[in-house]
Amino acid sequence: FFVLQYYKPKLLTCDIQMAAPYSPLTTHVLNTGMGVPGAHMALSLHRMDPSTSLWNLLTTGTTNDDGRFPGLITRENFTPEVYKMRFETGQYWESLGETSFYPYVEIVFTITDHSQKFHVPLLCSFFSYTTHRGS
Amino acid sequence: MSSTLPDSPLTTYVLNTGDGVPGARMALSLHRLDSLLVIWNLVTVGTTDEDGRCPGLITTKAFTPGMYKMRFETGQYWESLGHNSFYPYVEIVFTITNANERFHLPLLLSRFSYSTYRGS
Repeated sequence: FFVLQYYKPKLLTCDIQMAAPYSPLTTHVLNTGMGVPGAHMALSLHRMDPSTSLWNLLTTGTTNDDGRFPGLITRENFTPEVYKMRFETGQYWESLGETSFYPYVEIVFTITDHSQKFHVPLLCSFFSYTTHRGS
Repeated sequence: MSSTLPDSPLTTYVLNTGDGVPGARMALSLHRLDSLLVIWNLVTVGTTDEDGRCPGLITTKAFTPGMYKMRFETGQYWESLGHNSFYPYVEIVFTITNANERFHLPLLLSRFSYSTYRGS
């Protein structure tokens, strides 16, 4: 019984990742300094609550081997609001034995038409980063 | 007035890459993290000039090692030009370990993209 209870939350997480539910919001982290995907970088998605002006945490996790993060948010949850994607770049560079100028990167963006697809990539090196709105 | 301002060890430069012009008259602010209280202290508020620059951001004396944040009011900027934009504002958080160096923090910006790099 205890063994099952221990595995239950892990199984649920696996189910979500394997099913890779469609997400209208995607990201892709690229390590342009080394020419590789930004794999295993911790990131989190937040949404601003307009009544309190506080950030609500929606999703947290790490990018996969390809620098991507399937299942960021469901279509139902993807309401038109201000969102923030936070990338733990400092931790990422440290794990590669490097230092970086940026301890983390936060990209804040506004969704008005939530029927569209939005791609928020991060191309980063130790001393630079760039993002753009893709689809 | 700008010519009498002492050289700031931290400089910025905003470029509107969408229109190919300097990012002039953009409001910005510099903050330093209070590591004890873990809150951001406002250091400077300013607006970029016609050239997209903001002289006198911080004095050499005030520029101590730590974590800093530069916030650019990009949403307001695009609105004043009659456009919307994907980003309501841009915050760039960076760590200064050696405060004896010069740091240049440019922002190259369009309505749907931005980039920054560490210059000197």
